[in-house]
Amino acid sequence: MAIEINQSYARRKHGIQRLAFGVFRALSYCVVLILFVILGFIIIKGIGVVNWDFLTQPPTDGMTKGGIMPAIVGTFWLMVGSAIFAFPVGVMSGIYMNEYAPQGKLVNFIRTMTNNLAGIPSIVFGLFGMACFVNYLDFGDSILAGSLTLGLLALPIVIRTTEEAFKDIPNSYREGSLALGATKAQTIWKVLLPMAMPRVITGLILSLGRVSGETAPILFTCAAYFLPRLPESIFDQCMALPYHLYVVATSGTDIEAQMPIAYGTAFVLIVIVLIMNLLANGVRKYFENKLKSK
Amino acid sequence: MVKFVENELQAIKDEVNEMWKLVYQQLADACKAVLEIDIDLVDKVVAREKRVNAFELKIDSDIEDFIALYNPVAVDLRFALAMLKINNNLERIGDYADSIARLVIRTNLKPESKELFKKLKLQEMFDSVLKMLRNTYDALQKQDISLAKAVFEDDEVLDIINREALDTIADYAREHTDEIKLCLDVAAMFRKLERAGDHINNLSEETIFYIDAEVLKHCKTILHSDEENNNSTEANN
Amino acid sequence: MDKIEAKNVNFYYGDFHALKGISINIPNNQVVAFIGPSGCGKSTFLRLFNRMNDLIPGSRLTGEILIDGQNIYDKSVDVDKLRKNVGMVFQRPNPFPKSIFENVAYGLRVNGIKDKAFIEERVETALKGAALWVEVKDKLKESAYALSGGQQQRLCIARAMAVEPSVLLMDEPASALDPISTAKIEELICELSSQTTIIIVTHSMQQAARVSNKTAFFYLGEMVEYDDTKKIFTNPSKETTQNYITGRFG
Repeated sequence: MAIEINQSYARRKHGIQRLAFGVFRALSYCVVLILFVILGFIIIKGIGVVNWDFLTQPPTDGMTKGGIMPAIVGTFWLMVGSAIFAFPVGVMSGIYMNEYAPQGKLVNFIRTMTNNLAGIPSIVFGLFGMACFVNYLDFGDSILAGSLTLGLLALPIVIRTTEEAFKDIPNSYREGSLALGATKAQTIWKVLLPMAMPRVITGLILSLGRVSGETAPILFTCAAYFLPRLPESIFDQCMALPYHLYVVATSGTDIEAQMPIAYGTAFVLIVIVLIMNLLANGVRKYFENKLKSK
Repeated sequence: MVKFVENELQAIKDEVNEMWKLVYQQLADACKAVLEIDIDLVDKVVAREKRVNAFELKIDSDIEDFIALYNPVAVDLRFALAMLKINNNLERIGDYADSIARLVIRTNLKPESKELFKKLKLQEMFDSVLKMLRNTYDALQKQDISLAKAVFEDDEVLDIINREALDTIADYAREHTDEIKLCLDVAAMFRKLERAGDHINNLSEETIFYIDAEVLKHCKTILHSDEENNNSTEANN
Repeated sequence: MDKIEAKNVNFYYGDFHALKGISINIPNNQVVAFIGPSGCGKSTFLRLFNRMNDLIPGSRLTGEILIDGQNIYDKSVDVDKLRKNVGMVFQRPNPFPKSIFENVAYGLRVNGIKDKAFIEERVETALKGAALWVEVKDKLKESAYALSGGQQQRLCIARAMAVEPSVLLMDEPASALDPISTAKIEELICELSSQTTIIIVTHSMQQAARVSNKTAFFYLGEMVEYDDTKKIFTNPSKETTQNYITGRFG
């Protein structure tokens, strides 16, 4: 028996569908719109300030004039420092949890705690960094202390991406390697790590992009309010972009005169973070093509 | 088809060829034994008949294995089926050769019978059957359909000789009532040769089926054998 | 003496009794096929021969498995050495993300072989043995992923054969391949069987029939029947076997 199609019902059905999808589409466009508004705002306000001198000169005249070079360099060193700390530690714990540790309550506990670590407010990291690295280990306010604190912040992300990268490798590769008489360590080192690397590195870069914008953790551990010279060792203090942005926007001798510098700093910071994200994307694509060149 | 299947096919083919040669030998020797009243040759034929039977069983089981293990399709399936039937037909021809040879002992043939054989064109009958068997074999080896089809025509020659021979025997029997038993046996021999011809026809059909997938069986215009005849000879055995 | 002897093997995944008292003798340089419906334990049994199931937490084994008379579950056995001697090819081709050459050389390298000339020679032999040499000899440095699925699987066979195992386990090696590639793999199995004992798990009964000398039929964790392949496929002695191979199951 053929089912009679109720024309008005069909029309209504399609009307509702169109309406619902219209709302979804509008909302998703909104998200992009907000991003563009923020970016546009910063770019319009900031791009005029940015020039070669702005990027290569230290601030002068009580931070009302000059450039932001020490802050860029400081942020760069902090990123390198946190990467040096977070990468090996994160990758090793990720590998341990996914490959070696007997899966059970203990590992699940570690995993939950790692996730909790990621949820801790960054100012708390800052406080811990001050207590532990600056005072207890007596690194003082330094790039080292700041890097370690930022590294701690990046650690959960690196661990999680490492773990996920290893988890997503089909078991057949492990078995394939073990079946040839390879040990577990050989299997991890020669087969699994190269396969997981693109994702691990992507995760690392993304986490660095994230920590590069953090202010709170370096507030008590590293960042200098005003330091027109470049850091000379890892025990030096340094300026950093986000903190500098905070400083020029909120305190100082002449807030009015400092505002363009704040927007310029924000612009540079955003460009750095965007570059990091694009880089992460590029790295992933590069390795993917290399691995799966068909 | 992959190589190891090819090897299996070749092995079956080789076996069937060997069987074929063996049966040909049987038939040729049986003919010779009758024409020359050679008791020793009869013994040889009778002894070899066991080998023919054993060979048939072996090929049957090999083909069964082949079909079970390799699930042949298309030309391979036709080949397997054709070889299976060729094998069975060859075995039947072997049986005829055996019983034709035994005639020498059973009827206690005397040299005088040779005259009768000449009149009956027995030599020609033998030659035709053997020629058919040879040609069918060649047709299979060369995959030559026209050669296989030519065998059907040769079969008609057999029929003609057979029909004439039966008339001649009937006449002969009327004149030599004391040799009625011989006459009956010789008539039976002719019928067996004629039946062997039918089996060779079958070989040809199977060969053509294998090469060309043309089903010739029960196609009246070409075939001359009929079911009744078939049944009667089976009863003979 | 038979190459492999399993004596009353029971295997458990936790509480699940996966293999029930299986005993089997596998002669040297033969191809033995394991057939049976999914979940019948044939793959589990196969993976006992190179102790792949060691990786599964909560699994337990009783009984003995002897290869060349040595109980491979004995405490003194070096598992890595065992696995070098008992190669394995998996259901899906799993070449490593390395060059074709390095894939085949991998087994040699992890077993501590450093002699470059020797490795090169072995790789060539293995690739030739897997009927892949002609296709890849000009692109040994290229990624193994550039090969087709069938070629990748033959590469995996070459990789396994490079360390010259005396037993090769194959877990549905052709189930992810097209018919032409499957035919090539099957031909390869027949050729390799002259130097290696091969155990192949397959879902395809035709495949078991085509390539194996002996066939074992598994059902619900038990080995129902083990006999010459010809016998199994023409005249099996158990009704369950007959029902399975004729497709009259259930």
